[in-house]
Amino acid sequence: MPKIEYANLDAEIEKLHSEGFTYLTKITAVDYVDHVEVLYFLRDIEKNKEIVVRSDLAPNYLRLKSIMHLYPAADWYERELSEMFGIDFIGRKTKRLLLEKWDGKGNPLRKSFTWGSKYEVQE
Amino acid sequence: MIFMEENIAENEKVMNARKEMDKLVADSLKRYKLKPNALFVKLSDVTKHIAKKPVDWARTNSVWPMQFGLACCAMELMDFGSSRIDAERNGYLLFRATPRQCDAMIVAGWVTKSVIPELKRLYEQMLEPRYVIAYGECATSGGPWWESYNIIKGIDQVLPVDVYVAGCPPRPESLFQALIKLQKKIGGVVAKD
Amino acid sequence: MSETKINIGPIHPSTHGVLRLVVTVDGDTIKEVEPHIGFLHRGVEKLAESRMYMQNIVYMEKLDYAAPMAHQELYVSTVEKLLGIEVKERAEYVRVVLLELQRIASHLLWLGTMCNDIGQMFSMFMWTMRDRDMILRLLQEATGQRMFYVNMRLGGVNRDLPAGFEDDTYKVLDSIEHSLGEYKDFLESNPVFMERLKNVGVLSRENAIRLGVTGPVLRGSGIDYDVRRNSSYYKYTKLGFRPAVETGGDSFARYKVRMKEMQESISLVRKALEEMPKGDALGLPIKLIGAVPKEKEAIVKRELPRGEGMMYMVADKQRPYRLAIRAPAFINLAALDHISRGQRLADLFAILGSLDLVMADVDK
Repeated sequence: MPKIEYANLDAEIEKLHSEGFTYLTKITAVDYVDHVEVLYFLRDIEKNKEIVVRSDLAPNYLRLKSIMHLYPAADWYERELSEMFGIDFIGRKTKRLLLEKWDGKGNPLRKSFTWGSKYEVQE
Repeated sequence: MIFMEENIAENEKVMNARKEMDKLVADSLKRYKLKPNALFVKLSDVTKHIAKKPVDWARTNSVWPMQFGLACCAMELMDFGSSRIDAERNGYLLFRATPRQCDAMIVAGWVTKSVIPELKRLYEQMLEPRYVIAYGECATSGGPWWESYNIIKGIDQVLPVDVYVAGCPPRPESLFQALIKLQKKIGGVVAKD
Repeated sequence: MSETKINIGPIHPSTHGVLRLVVTVDGDTIKEVEPHIGFLHRGVEKLAESRMYMQNIVYMEKLDYAAPMAHQELYVSTVEKLLGIEVKERAEYVRVVLLELQRIASHLLWLGTMCNDIGQMFSMFMWTMRDRDMILRLLQEATGQRMFYVNMRLGGVNRDLPAGFEDDTYKVLDSIEHSLGEYKDFLESNPVFMERLKNVGVLSRENAIRLGVTGPVLRGSGIDYDVRRNSSYYKYTKLGFRPAVETGGDSFARYKVRMKEMQESISLVRKALEEMPKGDALGLPIKLIGAVPKEKEAIVKRELPRGEGMMYMVADKQRPYRLAIRAPAFINLAALDHISRGQRLADLFAILGSLDLVMADVDK
């Protein structure tokens, strides 16, 4: 499927949900340095069809509408993405992070996150 | 983040309570000074000298390990306790999960920054004399996750370790050999197998 | 109406790994379960971006330590699709044999630990670990290692099956089939076992699709979806594979699905050993020089013992640019909150046992 514009993303997902693609496999994202690409993997279990919905986000405006009202399975995927990439999901009730206790600074899967020093000693 | 702050505040409360208790005990000891009875001290030395050998033999031949299986090395720990490589035939009975009844703590698996408070607390709850075995590469030195941002590079940055076992994962027979080395370190006569 | 919060802490003898549950309880009924995860997180997806293709196999195996062969094969298939390399014919049969043996070993481990959690049936744990040890010895003959076999190569495996492998396998499979019949007989006539599993943790059909669960949890609720048949790979349709489906949705249905899957795997291994053609099953050596990716990205799905796994990889000359892993245990744990509302507190561990979790899979 070709890439969808950011403005039409919500309408497209609701259209696919009403056509029968009711099973969400994964939501993930890739960080190319000048834009961030978001992917939704949807599936229709009765007819055994798969589809991938993609869209681009600008790196300084990372906001998406949450799809929890259509797919309750999106809850934990969205929490993981908001922690790893720094994407802000609008319309969620709880904003508690998933992996809460590692030092918590920065978003690990962005390319700007560098490793700690190799000889770092724990306190 | 909120949970980490609660934990730090709790730890501080516990440390303050301990300091106050130590001060109270020292004060009361200063007021009631007891002279140690010379005969009593000599008797207790003599009994300690006589009873050293049987007590050491008892401690050596019944080391009760505490399981701290976190990750893949826990699979080999389960195999170590089951029927083919039997752990009970040399005295390592009862893999308990409570630290109050155990002598040795076998740390198996990689330790992340979130698990360190639990590790320290369980070590402090064990009764003396207590020993720690680092099982596998991740507990020895960080293992294959050497460059990750979330793990500590070996548990000897947090706890005092007695025996290290290398391998990824080490075979259960290596754990057997490591426990025999621990028994020789405790002192006493090791029952030959 | 007074509610208390109970903390089932990270180190507990009954949870399969390091998992913290905060349970809100009113009397004896559960109102809400909140899992706190992340105690085993080490950033595998970020680590995989700094290693070359074939150096990453070591990381992928330690994602699921109860069945490492399955994750390893998933990763190697993704790299093969990216570089455009085809698998040899005899190697496909060899891979099917090793994967199905690994699936039997993983389900035996599940049976032992679940019976351990339910009623302290420690003897069941000892028997299944003995059977699992026999299979691990077979895998050690074929690959050289008991637990983390780095033996999949691009286009095949690193060593062909040794000389006496088939006779040993037939003996071991006969003994395991006999044991499975015994376990089924006395477990299903044990009143404690049946009361603790029947009508506990019911997941209806619509909720199973909405919550996105996979694997035996999905097939235990009446949905007929199995990656080995729907998007078939290697020779599963040729060997006549049929998935195991049960309606009912409770823990007893998930137990029956896994017992049927073990029987199916035993017959698949026997057929694959008979029909194996002669030839060469070796793949490329592990030091891959001059890899040229032919496609830009690759998506591969496989049926792991715990559910359906998927990998999505974007290529960047010699190493992956991004590797996204979909772990089945992650999304099965997210459904725990919904399944256990309204149940009693003592049933929480029976439900956790029937979901079959491995915590290193949940926090990648």
